[in-house]
Parts: sequence; C-alpha cells; structure tokens
Amino acid sequence: MPPRRDNDFIDADSESDISILGDDDLDTRGGKGKGKAKAGDKRKRDKGKAKAKDAQAYTWEANYTRSWETVQEDEAGSLRSSVEDWMARGRRRRLLAPASAIRRTIIRHLVLLLDLSASMMDRDMRPTRFDLTLQYAREFITEWFDQNPLGQIGVVGMRAGLGERIGDMTGNPQDVLRAIADRHKLEPVGEPSLQNAIEMARSSMNHLPTHSSREILIIFGSLTTCDPGNIHDTLDSCIKNKIRISVVALAAEMKICRDICDKTGGQFGVALNDGHFKDLLFELVPPPAQRALSRAAGAGATNPAADLMMMGFPTRLPDTSPPSLCVCHSEIKSEGFLCPRCLAKVCDVPTDCDICGLMIVSSPHLARSYHHLFPVKSYNAVMAIDHAVDSAKGCHGCSRPFPVAVAANTSEGLSPVGRYRCPECHRDFCSDCDVFIHDVVHCCPGCGK
Amino acid sequence: MDNLRGSHLSLVIDMSPMQWHLSGEGPPTNAYPLTLDAFLSQLLAFLNSHVASKDENTLAVFGAFPGRSVMLYSSTDPAPNQQNINANSFPPFELVDSNIIRRISEEMEDLGEPEEEAPCALVGALTKALCHINRITLATSTTVNNPSGGPNSTNLPDPRILILSVSPDLSTSYIPIMNSIFSAQKLKVTIDVCQIYGSDTVFLQQAAHLTGGSYIFLDRRDALLQYLIMAFLSPPSIRKILSVPTQDKIDFRAACFCHKSIVDIGFVCSVCLSIFCQPVPVCSTCRTKFPFKTLQRLNASRPMPPSSNSNSARPRTDTPQLRTISSSELALSSGPMNGMTTTAPVGGLAGGSIVNKREPSTNGKIHEPPEAR
Ligand SMILES: [Zn+2]
Ligand SMILES: [Zn+2]
Ligand SMILES: [Zn+2]
Ligand SMILES: [Zn+2]
Ligand SMILES: [Zn+2]
Ligand SMILES: [Zn+2]
Repeated sequence: MPPRRDNDFIDADSESDISILGDDDLDTRGGKGKGKAKAGDKRKRDKGKAKAKDAQAYTWEANYTRSWETVQEDEAGSLRSSVEDWMARGRRRRLLAPASAIRRTIIRHLVLLLDLSASMMDRDMRPTRFDLTLQYAREFITEWFDQNPLGQIGVVGMRAGLGERIGDMTGNPQDVLRAIADRHKLEPVGEPSLQNAIEMARSSMNHLPTHSSREILIIFGSLTTCDPGNIHDTLDSCIKNKIRISVVALAAEMKICRDICDKTGGQFGVALNDGHFKDLLFELVPPPAQRALSRAAGAGATNPAADLMMMGFPTRLPDTSPPSLCVCHSEIKSEGFLCPRCLAKVCDVPTDCDICGLMIVSSPHLARSYHHLFPVKSYNAVMAIDHAVDSAKGCHGCSRPFPVAVAANTSEGLSPVGRYRCPECHRDFCSDCDVFIHDVVHCCPGCGK
Repeated sequence: MDNLRGSHLSLVIDMSPMQWHLSGEGPPTNAYPLTLDAFLSQLLAFLNSHVASKDENTLAVFGAFPGRSVMLYSSTDPAPNQQNINANSFPPFELVDSNIIRRISEEMEDLGEPEEEAPCALVGALTKALCHINRITLATSTTVNNPSGGPNSTNLPDPRILILSVSPDLSTSYIPIMNSIFSAQKLKVTIDVCQIYGSDTVFLQQAAHLTGGSYIFLDRRDALLQYLIMAFLSPPSIRKILSVPTQDKIDFRAACFCHKSIVDIGFVCSVCLSIFCQPVPVCSTCRTKFPFKTLQRLNASRPMPPSSNSNSARPRTDTPQLRTISSSELALSSGPMNGMTTTAPVGGLAGGSIVNKREPSTNGKIHEPPEAR
C-alpha cells in the first residue's frame, strides 16, 4: 500500500494528508498558489490537533475522514480553489484528446465486471473499496447512458472464485442501476477469478453484431486471481472476438491485467485515490475511437467495423390514447411506442422490440450521439491580453465581464486572464463557459455549430 | 414550489428583419398582421408583468439577429446608467423597457442594408441563454452558505427559456439545436416556444416537448399578449395547476438523408448515424462502404414483401394516424390490428404474436452477426 503516498495523493486535501506533512512542507508546496492561504488557515486551526495526530502517518490508520468535507471553502467562503483544480484537470484531459473528428463506435455494449472478493472490504478507500466502487459505478452508469443512449450495459460480479451474472445486458439505465442497488446481495466474499468472470462476460456478448463495440470494464481490487485454466487462452479468445477489456485496479498493477488491456486495446489504470479512481472510470464514458479497435483486431482485419443497421422509428402514442398492455412489462398504459414492424407496444425507447427484435430508437436518441462525431474544438487559454485586439469586455457565452487583474500564478493549462478563445470564431469565453460548452452543450455559441 | 425565490426567465427573440417584414404585411396574404413595433410593445408589457409578479424574478433577453446573437438585457448584470428617467414611470419597468429598445435599435442600425440576409443566429442566442443560466446556477450553488442565499439555493428554481420565433427551421441547425435541448435537459431548464409567424417548426416543437415546455403556434397574432400572459407568464412549477397547452401530436420519426422523407423503418450507418430509407452500399455522408453480406441480409429481411417494394421505398408522408392504419394493413392485412388500436388491452400481445407466426423469417435476424453462419 505505501505506493499510494505519492504527490497526487498528498494534493488531495484531507485532514489526514495534511498531518503527513510537516508545517514547513505546507509553506513550500504553495507553488500552486491557490492552496496556500487555505492550507495555512487550516494549519492554525488544527495546530493542537495535528500534534496528536503526528504518529498517525498512514491514511489507513486515520479515522473515517471524508476529504470532501474537510476541504472546500477558502476564506471568502467559495469553492474556487478546488473547482479550479478540477477544471484544470478537465482542460488537460481535453487537450490530450485528438481534435479532429475521428470515427467512434456509437452502438456500444459493455459488461461491467465488479470485483466482489474479500479484498474489496479493504478500507484504504473510504468508507470501503466496495462501497466506493458501488457509488462510482452508479454515477458511471448514469453518465454512460447519457452519453451513449444507444448502448447497453450488463453487470457481472466475481466472487468466491466464480463469475456471477448480476444484471443482464440492457439499454435501460434504471434496470442496470436496480441490479446493483442492493449492496447486501453483492456482499464481497472469497477469491476473485478473472478467467471465470471474463468467460461469462464474453459468452454474453458473443451474439452481438460486429458494428457495435464489445467492451468489458473490470474494477479489480484484488492482487490475485484464482482460475480454473489458462487465462491466456481466455485472453486469446477475447482478442479473436474483438472484445476490448479495460481494467481499473484499486490495489496495484498486475502483469496479467496490464497484458489483457494492452492486447485487447483497452485502458489500464491503477487508482491512486478516490478522485483518481473516478477519473479513470469516467475516462471510459466517451465512445472509444475506432482506430484503436482496428489496431487491436490486427492487420488481418478486413471488416471495417462499419455496417448498416436496420432501425425502427416508433409512433408515439399520446397520453390520451386508449390504454392497452405493453409487451415489456404487461402493464396497462396509455402512453407508449409502437414498433413500426410488428406494432407491438413498448414502454420506452431505445430498446429492441420484444416481439420481432427490431432495434427501436427515436430520432432524438440518434441526435444525442452526434456530438461525439462532431466535437467542439477545444479552446486555447489566452496567456496575455493584447489590447489592440481584445475588445470584448465580457465572455461571449454568459456576458460576464472578464477579470481586469492578471492572476499571479495559475496552474498549467489555465489562462491568467481568465479567457479561453475558440480557434474557429476567435471569441473569448470564461472558464465556466469553456467547461460547460465542451462538457454539456457541445456547440460553440460564437460559431453556432 | 419555492415561495422564497423568484423564477428566472431567459427570452430569446428572433429578430429576422425579413420575417418581421412579412409578418407585418396586410390581409390578402396575412389575416392577422403583426408589425415589429406592435410586437415589441406587447412584449414589453409581458416582460413588465414578469418583473412585477415577484420582486426576486430575474430576466435575461437575447436577440437572434441575422448572422449574430447578442444579449440585450440581463437583470443580474448592473445596467448602464440611466440619463433621463421619466418621472411618471415605474423605475424597474423603465429600466427593462429603455434598455431593450435601445439595444435593439443599436443592433438594427449595425445590421445596415445587406444584399442578402444571413440566417438568424437562433442557435447562438439559445446557447448563450444556456451559458447564462449555467453561470447563474453555478453562482447560486457556490454561495450556498451565504446567509443571503436562502435555505434552498442549491438550484435556481424553475429556470426557463422562452423562444419567440418567426423563422422556419434551418436544416443545418438541427444538430446544434438538439445539443442545446439535451443540455437544457441536463440543467433542468424548461424551453417554451411561441411560433409567431410562418409555419410550424419541428425542431422547436421537439425542444419544447423534450424539456417539458409548451409549444404554441400563434393563429391570432393580434392576441399575442393574451397568449404570452396566459401560457408563458407562470413558472413551470405552477403550470401543473393551470394546465397550459402542450402538444400531443409530436412525431419523433426521422427523415431519411437521401430523400428527406419520413421513414418508420430506416437503415442507419453505424459510423455517422446517417439514416437511409433503403439499404445502400455506400454511406453518402461519410463514404463508408458497407459489407455486401449486410446488404443481402437487410434486403432479405425488409419488412415489406418484394411485391410492395415500391411502397416501402417511397415512405408515406401522411399523418401519423393514417399511417398507422395503412402500415398495419400492409403488415397484417386483417382483423386484430383494429382491436389493438381501439380497445382490447391484450392487443399489443395478440398483434405481436400474430406477427411472430406470420413472419418467422424476420425474427431476430437483425442481431445475428453475419459471420456467425
Ligand atoms: Zn412495459
Ligand atoms: Zn417489433
Ligand atoms: Zn462565460
Ligand atoms: Zn467558436
Ligand atoms: Zn430516402
Ligand atoms: Zn456514414
């Protein structure tokens, strides 16, 4: 566990972290500028307490602390500094992403593989790895469906040496969330078995069409796996089936996990702390670029993973129509959607028709995916104000006036003058709008497209 | 329902000079003309009633001019100094009225006399309104602990956007408008639409439907103020009681990219999600070639028998009700369907099972991987 004590972790301002550092450290690490005043302030307040806690050098010896409750406000009572940290992280992430439009897999199928072995009861993440995993999994699922409205998720658990089907592959976020809602049914026990669980996930994706992605996301808290056979055989068949496996490890890097991810074209990451765990997970929300998929498939891949799909656009029944039974739940309802091929009535779209199997979507569902295909170019941080050019006094998005003063020291990727410029329309935006436009709106107000 | 805090209204006005000119023309073509001046005076009366109905109400006004969008007024930003305040006017009204009129005339003068009118920047105005709401939402949520913020200030209560549109749909703005709708959903913003002149706009109908707002097509333009006050003055939380008109006939079927006709079973490119009304070998949008096997398979499992091929290749464009009947006749040719659309609660199941027997060849075909055979 000691590898956890690296810089990233110390930056997360929980009380226990601060007690790791001597008082001098606190002053010298003010390089980021904004954490300084707050840390100093806290230090005064905690002086007496910190002494008593000196002996307690490791996180897992600390009491239950929630870092998000101890940090937060600076003396002005705002969340500025932690928000800025978060924004800087987001900006860096976006800048790393390729700017040009790349092909992405829009129809996704994902199996979420949860480690439910005894090691998940470890308390190095608060309250336990298991509880945190469930909490993040819920957030992940909500966000994932929001960005991949045509996708489907299944849930498989690994515990007591077996793979265990927890939730069937479905396109309805509520069904997936319900599958992992009851934590008592998921109580961690025994050893995990990567091979058994991956085999189970693989078998549930065998029948899927080739134009959709097949992905497995493993949240793995253990350092061992207890397999009935050779896991490399399983790996080979996953490669053959073009299944992309990503692993978020909570403990440490394992050779086999790294291999699985590398060979199937997935991502591997070891979570350093709570925040990093969430980052790793949410990096997997946007649809994967297809070029990686074909690379994983190898040189012999003749199938360009593109296909023509037949889809039905249903007729929506108004609330005033006479009630009838739906085919999905057999409940009497007025509203619903009629499958255009067999005219069965389903409650919700997108779905596969329960009767004829036609994929039923409504046009807004298709539209919800378009922003992955036509992303907004990321804005450039304006480093200095050129008075000859910069006539705009306020943000082009929300009209808030830009700060007049130049911030003394800002972290990498942030503009000292608080301006971010669109490379297309050359308008300036404030940092709030920058984040909002790229993460939510997906449309530049200046360009209008 | 929050009684302590006011509601926020962002107004987006479509200021296309061309459309307003048409709207102001007289009876032979236009039974109820409405000029821009008349519109503005009724609009200001509406805005004044919004400001007057609660002290805490906030207001922002955005104008969509040809080729650009501007914020005309915002009650959260300090307004520029007023030189000549009329002693007989109520200052808050005067502030709103004079600012909006001044900004509109400034912008109109800036427009000059272009040879060809650029399309109205409705998308720009809409996204700006969203950015503005996002900003004031952020501002209220970060000052939660401020005593002035009130007990429940984590969210701006009932933010809403009212779009007053006179222009027809612009097909290039489909994706940005849909993106704006989805972000409005995320921010829990209600979008109301009043189409004052011209034809129905499908995009804005969808915007209102997907965000839980109401869409009103103005038949009697002379009654604009009446409509505005009856339908759009109350915040969304109160509308449940007032039963404001919503539209029910909204249609979420898609138009194919090749003929722009409405399809109910379409063929979609998995790369760019273009929609076609028949299987095509190459996607016309992204130039992706589709596997030959897929084409064979799709052609084989087309919903209509080959004899009625012409029928399916030319999708029906009539009303949804008529369409439902006609396609049910095609698919089933008799009895049970009528039962389904009118009475029998088991209709859905019965209709489905009959199709199951009749067309066993199509069942589950779509999701078989081609190389599985
Ligand atoms: Zn149902
Ligand atoms: Zn069906
Ligand atoms: Zn802004
Ligand atoms: Zn731009
Ligand atoms: Zn067509
Ligand atoms: Zn395409």
